[in-house]
Amino acid sequence: MKNVIEVKNLTKKYKELKAIDDLSFEVYEGEILGLLGPNGSGKSTTINCLLSLLNFNKGTIKIFGKTMKPSSYDIKEKIGVVFQDIAVFEELNVIDNINYFCGLYIKDKDTRKKYVLDAINLVGLENYKKFYPKQLSGGLLRRLNIACGIAHKPKLIFLDEPTVAVDPQSRNNILEGIKKLRDEGSTIVYTTHYMEEVEIICDRVIIIDKGSIIASGTTDEVKHLASIEEKVTVEVVDLENKYLEEIKNLKHVDEVKYDNNILFITYKKGKNNLIDLIDYLKINKINYTKIFSERPTLNDVFLELTGKELRD
Amino acid sequence: MFYHNFKYSLKILLKNKMLIFWTFAFPIILGSLFKMAFSDIENNEKLDTIDIAIIQTEEFNNNQIYKKTYEELSNKNNKNKLFNIYYIKEKNNLESKKKANQLLEQDKIVGYLFLENKKEIIVKTSGINQTVFKYVTEEIIQTEKIITNLIKEGMSSNSTDQTINQLYEKIYDKVLSINENNTILKDTTNTNLSYTMIEFYTLIAMTCLYGGILAMTSINNNLANMSSKGKRIFISPTKKYKTIISSVLASYIVQLIGLFILFIYTVVVLKVDYGNNFPLIILLALIGSLAGLSLGVFTSCVFKNSENTKTGIIISLTMLGCFLSGMMGITMKYVIDKNVPIINKLNPANMITDGFYSLYYYDTLDRYYFNIISLIIFAMILIVISTFSLRRQKYDSI
Repeated sequence: MKNVIEVKNLTKKYKELKAIDDLSFEVYEGEILGLLGPNGSGKSTTINCLLSLLNFNKGTIKIFGKTMKPSSYDIKEKIGVVFQDIAVFEELNVIDNINYFCGLYIKDKDTRKKYVLDAINLVGLENYKKFYPKQLSGGLLRRLNIACGIAHKPKLIFLDEPTVAVDPQSRNNILEGIKKLRDEGSTIVYTTHYMEEVEIICDRVIIIDKGSIIASGTTDEVKHLASIEEKVTVEVVDLENKYLEEIKNLKHVDEVKYDNNILFITYKKGKNNLIDLIDYLKINKINYTKIFSERPTLNDVFLELTGKELRD
Repeated sequence: MFYHNFKYSLKILLKNKMLIFWTFAFPIILGSLFKMAFSDIENNEKLDTIDIAIIQTEEFNNNQIYKKTYEELSNKNNKNKLFNIYYIKEKNNLESKKKANQLLEQDKIVGYLFLENKKEIIVKTSGINQTVFKYVTEEIIQTEKIITNLIKEGMSSNSTDQTINQLYEKIYDKVLSINENNTILKDTTNTNLSYTMIEFYTLIAMTCLYGGILAMTSINNNLANMSSKGKRIFISPTKKYKTIISSVLASYIVQLIGLFILFIYTVVVLKVDYGNNFPLIILLALIGSLAGLSLGVFTSCVFKNSENTKTGIIISLTMLGCFLSGMMGITMKYVIDKNVPIINKLNPANMITDGFYSLYYYDTLDRYYFNIISLIIFAMILIVISTFSLRRQKYDSI
């Protein structure tokens, strides 16, 4: 696979604090790479270093095979960025905002007009073209923010937490749009601390904590790093303690928790754990209203590797 | 790209209500308030005609200098008429004085002149009218002395027609030189001389310098460490100097539009007189705006504070500069010019104010050009410092 980004031994310090610590990774053409980590883990700092916005202490960054510098205009032409903060002009309406930022890349007016309309359609702002940012909801504003960053059809797109504080409808719309961009040939670096999003759209994941990579690979590969195999949740009213003790002794059970009439059971391994549990509940005539099984999530992996939750 | 950025910068600035208020509306509001406040004060402070009395002694009647001067100062056809004069002539001087004292007691006059062996100005109380009467009379006495001495000097030699003509020429030159050199006697009757003019000149200076807010906002939008929009513009392939220069140019145009509107408003509505030399007035406005723009560029590039703080810095510097150059009273300008002239020499608001002032009051342009050159130097220094500061391409933190 062809490298679009190649980062080697990247280190960035703020005085004594290492924001990025000897980071090395690659991003391949046509993939969505998820850069996952809690707040303050170094995701945005990494992006800013990649874009030459920030000085860094050590390491090399190559984009499209060339060293990235502030004056690398040929590389910049092919890059689109959606920052975590909303970066639009309050004084311009939706279409003017997109047209302005697109105009920094595309000179030809006709081409630009088409690109602007494509971007509006991609993020679903067709009905809001003449709206000003202050007239848009948080979700629509995020969509505008994305449209401004990708309207020029870049080959490489950085999306820095684009769905923060967004309603579910807008989130789905944004995630669908990102997949569409990948399908159209763009390479995407997607930073977030929402593991559900990563599981939905990312081809590969890099988990960062305290500026270092603690896990990387496809989502399945990363999940295998967790020691648990399955999580079962049962909604059951007034479960007696004696049953709790018996469940703990069932085959493959690692941990049992009962809280607010919800029973959580984690299994270290095994394949028919759910069937075995249902059989046990039936035999003991324990009534339950809901039961479901889950694979471990990226958050479980992160919790196991760092001892804290991704959203901490 | 240059035109694209210029066009949108113009649009962004013109749609920013806060900026438009400070740079367009605020000076107009302030100008209107000045007009309301100061025109009344000025009207109240206009000198009324002063009632005085002159005792027609023999000496007074024989002294053409006194007689003619007072006649002229009380002539009803003279638009600068200063005195209403009661001429008193009783049986003798003692009676005349008695009559004059009577008028003085009845407050019908502020004072009277008694000219005999010695010159007496008699007033009852102190006050502006009494001071004016005294001051004018003393001026006449001084002038009379000069002329009398010259005549004595001339008559002491053997007078011939030629020497008498020479003497007349000498007296004529001397009197003329008094009028030319003494600013108190400068003819200002052909102008609408008004000290409130200085308020309007500082208002123009304030508008020029407030334009810096426009430049500062424009540049902030382009700086990656100042706004997220700046980060987006920074990572685009458009060269930094293109976006910065086009944005600054747009802010300069908006600044000039604001200034033009203010000029029109002050001339048409507030009836402010800027004199007749329009090309030089426009040149001063352009250079003054350039100084304001450079102040904005400097504040934007050198200070690392938030946009609101930078706006505060520009507004504070501008208001302080305008205050020192006479916005809240011409006395301050006078006090600074007299005691700490260096402050006003470095104060761009004063350079602009003084430029307009010198165009209006002086026949020569030396002082005007001194201010123009000072403004250009001020602007160049700030722009050079800003350029060096802007050349940094990457940030340690953003």
